[in-house]
Formats: sequence, C-alpha cells, structure tokens
Amino acid sequence: MTRRPRLDLRDQPLVGGQPLAFGIGLAIALFVGTLLLLGAGHDPLKVYSRMFEASLGDPDAWAVTLNRAVPLGLAGLAVAVAGSMGLWNIGAEGQIMAGAIGASWVARIGGEWPGLILITVMLIAALGGGGLLALGPAVAKAKLGVNEIITTLMLNEVAIRLVQWLIHGPWKDPDAYNFPLAPMLPEQAHLPTLFSRAHCGILIAAGVIVISSVAVKYTAWGYELRIAGSSEATARYSGISLPQKILTVLVLSGGIAGLAGGVELTGTADRLTETLSNGFGFAGIIVAALALMRPSGVAVVAVLFGAVQIGGQSIQTLGVSSSVSTILQAFVLFGAIGAGVLSRYRILFEGEAQPAPEAVDK
Amino acid sequence: MTHSSSVIDGNQVAVHLSDVWKMFPGVVANAGVELCVRRGTIHALLGENGAGKSTLMNVLAGVYRPDRGQLKLHGQVHSFRNPADALSAGVGMVHQEFRLIPSFSVAENVVLGSAPSLIRPRQLEAEVAAIAEKFGLRVDPTQPLWQLSMGERQKVEILKVLWRDASVLILDEPTTVLTPSEVDELAEILRRMAQDGRSIIFISHKLHEVSGICSEATVLRQGKTVATSLDMAATDAAELARLMVGSSPVAPDRPEVATPGDPLLELTELRASGDRGIDAFSNITFQVNSGEIVGIAGVAGNGQRELADVIAGLRPSTQGSVTLNGADVTTASPQQRFRAGLGYIPEDRLGVGLAPRLSITDNAILRIYRQQRRGPFIVAEKALAYCQDLITRFGVRSGDPHGPIAALSGGNLQRLLVGRELDGQPSVVVAAQPTRGLDVQGVKAIQDLLLDQRKAGAAVLMISEDLDELLTLTDRLLVMEGGVIRGEFDPRTVSRHEVGMAMLADTNAATR
Repeated sequence: MTRRPRLDLRDQPLVGGQPLAFGIGLAIALFVGTLLLLGAGHDPLKVYSRMFEASLGDPDAWAVTLNRAVPLGLAGLAVAVAGSMGLWNIGAEGQIMAGAIGASWVARIGGEWPGLILITVMLIAALGGGGLLALGPAVAKAKLGVNEIITTLMLNEVAIRLVQWLIHGPWKDPDAYNFPLAPMLPEQAHLPTLFSRAHCGILIAAGVIVISSVAVKYTAWGYELRIAGSSEATARYSGISLPQKILTVLVLSGGIAGLAGGVELTGTADRLTETLSNGFGFAGIIVAALALMRPSGVAVVAVLFGAVQIGGQSIQTLGVSSSVSTILQAFVLFGAIGAGVLSRYRILFEGEAQPAPEAVDK
Repeated sequence: MTHSSSVIDGNQVAVHLSDVWKMFPGVVANAGVELCVRRGTIHALLGENGAGKSTLMNVLAGVYRPDRGQLKLHGQVHSFRNPADALSAGVGMVHQEFRLIPSFSVAENVVLGSAPSLIRPRQLEAEVAAIAEKFGLRVDPTQPLWQLSMGERQKVEILKVLWRDASVLILDEPTTVLTPSEVDELAEILRRMAQDGRSIIFISHKLHEVSGICSEATVLRQGKTVATSLDMAATDAAELARLMVGSSPVAPDRPEVATPGDPLLELTELRASGDRGIDAFSNITFQVNSGEIVGIAGVAGNGQRELADVIAGLRPSTQGSVTLNGADVTTASPQQRFRAGLGYIPEDRLGVGLAPRLSITDNAILRIYRQQRRGPFIVAEKALAYCQDLITRFGVRSGDPHGPIAALSGGNLQRLLVGRELDGQPSVVVAAQPTRGLDVQGVKAIQDLLLDQRKAGAAVLMISEDLDELLTLTDRLLVMEGGVIRGEFDPRTVSRHEVGMAMLADTNAATR
C-alpha cells in the first residue's frame, strides 16, 4: 500500500515559524532567481550583491528602502487591521489615491499656511479621504452583508479614474506645458528629512503601527475585534454588535491606507500623479499576509519587502530586466506562504497516528 | 441478544458487510458490524445518534476505509479507496447535505463529475428526463437548481446516483428535509427502484416512516449490531425502539429530590424557524423552577438546538415569549439576557461559546471584560487573575493562560466554558449537550457543577442526547420530537423504553 502524505494541523504553530518561513521564502526566491539569471547570462553573485548594496548596503540605501517601507507598511497595516476581524480590504490601492486627493486638496487651499499646520491638516484629510472611500463598502457590508472584497476592489478603479480626471481637468497645472500634471506642492508641505533622503514618514508610519498594535492587543475595542475575527457566533453570544464593528474597522482600515497616500504625497512625490499609489495597496495585502494579519508584524515585513523592491529595481542598471525583480518578489511570497503553511501544519503519512483496534475498544 | 432472520440465499445478497471496524481517535464508531441487504429490497438501518450508522454507510460508499472487515457486493469482495471506486462498483450515496450547484440546471447537476467531454444540453436533458420518468421522479431537467425546493433537490441527488447506474443506493436520513406528502412520494420512488432490482439502504431513526417503507431492518447501538435483517412485518415498533435505545439500568446515585421554588424560566407558545426557514419548533410551553433540573430528551435535529439558541437570544422567535426571572426577554439581546441572569452553555463550544483563535485568558474574560476596563484598555493583570481564578476553581488543566484555547482538551475546554458561565451565579442555566464527547471524569465534573447550581437555587434546563444522563440528573424530563414536546415524564419512575418511544414519536407513547 502506498503511504500518501497528508497535512495535519499542529496543536500550536511552530515557535518562530513565520520568520523562518520568510527566510525559506527568500532562499527559494534566491535559488530560482539564480537559475533565471544564469539562464539570461548574468552573474548571480554580482546581481545579488548589487541588490543588497542598493537596499541595505549603506545609510543612503537604507533611506531609500525605509521611504519605500512607509507606504508598504501603512497599506499593510490597513489590510491587517481589517484582517484582524476577518475582513478583506482589497481597496488600499484606491484608498491611497483617495488619501492623496484629500491631502492635495488641503495643499491647494492652504498654500500659505505654516508647514507644520499644513502637513498636519493634509495628513488628516488623507485619513479622511481613505476612510470616505471605504465608507460605502463598510455600510454595504454592515447593513446588507455585501461582500467587501468585491466592493473595495472595484472602488480602486473609481479612485484612480478620479485622480486622472482631476489632473487632466480641474487640477491641471497651467505651467506644466499642457502635461496632465497637478501643480507642485508648496515648499513647506514637504515632510522634513530625517537622514540622507529618508523623510519623517517612517516615524509617522511607526507611530501609527504601534498605536494600532496596542489598540488591537490591549484595548476592549481590539478585544471585541479579535473575538469577532475568530468567530462571529461567539461575538454575537457575548453581545458584541457586529455591524458597528464592521463599520468602524473598515472605515479605519481605509483611513490608514489613505494616510499612506498622504505621507507618500508629502514625503516622496511632489505632486498628485496617476501613478502615486504605485501598487502599494496590492503589495500591502502581501505584507499583511506575511505578517499573519498581525499589526505588530507589519513593520518588519514592510522593511524587508521594501528592501526586496528597491534591490530589484537597482539591478536594472546591470542590464537585468525589471521582470526578474518582479519574479523574485513573487517567489519570496510563494516560498514564504508555502513555508508558512508548514509552521502551522505537519506532514504525516497515511497510516500514522491511527490507534490500534484493541487499544480503544470499550 | 441478536435477532436474525432465516438464512438468506447467497445469490440474492446485494450487500454483505461483515465484522466491520472503524475507529477514530478516542472513538470506536463501528465495532464488528454485520449488514446483509437482499437484492431488490428497501433495507432500514436504524440506530440512535452516534450508533455508527453514518460511519458504516461511509465505509460502504468508499468515503472511509474500514480498519478491519470485509465488504461484498453481489458475492464479490471489494475494497474501495474512494467514493469513485464505490460508485463504479455500483454503490451510490445520497448525503444529508446536498452537493449541488445552484446556478446549474437539474440536468447539469445530475451529470456533474461524470459528464461526457462534449456536452450536448438537449440530449443530456432528454436522458435525465428518461431516467426521471422511469422511476417517477417529478423534476424538470431544464430548471435551474436554485428554483427547486428541498424535496426536489433531493430528487436531483437521487437522479445523480441513478445516472451513474448504481445498483445499491444509500439514503442518509432522507426524510428530514421533506414534508409528509413528499415522504409518501419518496416511498413510491424507492419502491419502483426496488422493483427494478436495485437495493436501497434507508438510514433513519424515525420508526413510523421506516415501517411503512422498508421490508427489513438492521439495528445498530453503540457501534455494534444488535439485530440484523429483521423482518419488519413481524416486528412491532416497541421491539424496535427497545433494540435501539437498549434497556440498561439507570444509575443509582440519584440526587436528593428537589423542592422546586418559583418559576425562573418560562416559555410560552414559543415558535421559531430553523436554518432552512421552516419551523424548527412550535408551541413550546413549559417552565423551569428554582432548584430543579428539567431535561429535554430527543434525537438530534428535532428542534432542541434551535430552542436553546432562542432562549439564549441567538435566534429570533417568530411567536410566543421567553420570561427570565419574571421579566419578558423575548426580544432582548444575548448580553441583556446574560445580565438578567442567564448562563448559557452552547452545544457548539469552540465556535459559539469560545473563540477558537484566541488565548485562554481572552476566552475566560468574555463575559466580564467590560468590567475590567481602565479607559479604553483592558487591564491585563485583572484579566489574567480572573482567568487563573477560573482555572483553579473549576479544575481546568492548562499550561500557559496566554496559550491558545484550541490547545485545551475537550474536557478542559468545557470546564472553562461552564465555569465562566456559572461564575456570575446565574439564576437560570441552559446547558446544551454539556457532557457530549467528554471522558468519564469530565462528565462527572460538569454534572456536579450543574447539580451545585440546582442546590444553590438556580433553574437548570439541560438538553442532552444521552438519555441515561437525563434520567439520572433531572427532576422532570420533557421529550422533544418533530419540534414539539411529545410528553413529560418523571425520571424517577419512567422506563427508558417509554421515553424511547416518545423520542421516536410512536403514536402510543405520544398520547401517554
């Protein structure tokens, strides 16, 4: 008789399973990448060392990586906060845009305000913009049970079209030689730099991640969120109002993604463009999944993922196609998720762990 | 005692299972079961819940592989590795949960999984219609499935098996989703199939239906065969009921006679719908007094689960009222009922009573976390102290209180859940299947806790499928069948057999 393998749920996840999974994912990606690079006639060692130098090699590299980690981390946090309750916010991409629109609008009317006030109001507007875009799906889910995956996903398109309309129409910069560009932000609307090219966004992102983690872990609000995420029936049983929770969590999740758009606008981009969201919202889903939907895990994953992205971009100067870097990112994800499964399951072979007939006969 | 009919001619035997053993971790579902089904007959497989009927049929249908035992079809030994194997040997099963696709037509559903590579809808529909015609199954092959009633969907499931030309059909409690007239129609369809030379195994625990449809019966109890191939015409319902529920003596350590006080839980003309939208129960009126345990006996699926949910506020009632401590709570939320003095131990421990992905501490504070707040925060020390208090007082064997709840064993899960619910000194306790699946010590611990509540003056409603437990612990015993109360008994004087008859809705017992 053949002994077919099957997956068996572990009583407890393997300790340190997730970092290990990420490491294994990275190793698989490097291995596959090596084959790809050799096939394309490149020297893998040279490419990998360039990737490392460009992303984590020196303070300048760290600055670029951290700047990238900011929108990734905030978008990941947005997905993870909703994910703590078992909801899927696939609309971070659009909410980032909505946040950027909100912040741009403030910059248009507050061009003369002092920097600190202007940036603060811009970020609040970004939060509001993202939250507003998530409000529709939130209400539909809470009141009618409409699947939030579909609604948030579809609104991405709406937000991007809205940005396109704004920069081709009402917000078009008259001094941009008829290019579809929004005007540059006022000088004082840029986030101050921390070191090298790293801007203060990393502090904002870290702060928001810490606050969210603490809120989910230690407050009554977060407790109810986790109960509802673990079992809706248990939540109802203990008197937690599910519609209210769904509403607040989805709007908050949208707000956090919106904040990512605001920070990206004031920190890295100089103006509202139709490529501002740059796939961060979708990458955020990956970041949150690798962090197992735990807000506290998002920060580390975001920095690592940012490094992979920046490193991947840097190798284009060596003549390596940018697709290679995308493929590498994908394999990090596949490998990490595959290895993540093994931290929660173990492999048994058919016939194992079956009690003998006599042993349990009463 | 084993009943057996006269020797059956080997050539006429469609299915012969001998000495079938099937074990699951901690449970022996089948312990040397025998089953012999003659060709062209409708054979009843009877037994209480957990008697091993479904396991045995899943063995026959290739879903489970037996640990030991022999399976013969029409005299040939078979060993199925999967349901497809069984199907190609001619064994088809109609499960309780339908496996159909709502957006597909009837014909498409019928051929699902074994469709020809090129599908010609007209031709398929004609073929399906021909089979339906032959056996009197009235369904339109072109209709989309979502438009069909439960009874019609069942016919589609039967058609699926017939399409694959199964010679042995297994129907797992087929009448639970049917109206009485649909049951008659099903019986007629089954008779036609039997006349066509097919053999049908009809799983049920409703005696009155079985006696009209089946010609022979096999009875299982606690994983063993207590009677094989009984001639239904020669066996009366009382005998079958006795075989099904057994006649073991009631345990002697009965608690002191209670002196009931005021009614604390009152249900009046209560009615509610089940998950499928049809009435789960109706016209339920009874009260539970201070200092007594009232038991509800019944075979699973007769409205007990829904009744418990309605009392707890997890399911709306469509008629009638629920009164707790004299206050009408018919429309109150679960939380309001908890504050009004209701402790609820749900049947589904991990999933309703406890949140499976959270820690032991998080689960321990579910009822009281609102009192442990400082500002927006839950005070971690208080939560931990409360959890440790529950663990010590209710004897929960656990490691780290911050460890996952799912790591606890069934008995310890239930100790924690029951402890949490009883900690606030509720005046009314509703316990649904509180000891199911627990080991001997666990059962004793939970029963003792419920008896303590009774002593302290609480009104306890205990819903259980374990008749012995109910006869031992309760002061009054109600029997639920088909969504109504079939009778009230004094557990001190009633016989197991009388209760069994009411549980199976034998008409004589129902009138008492």
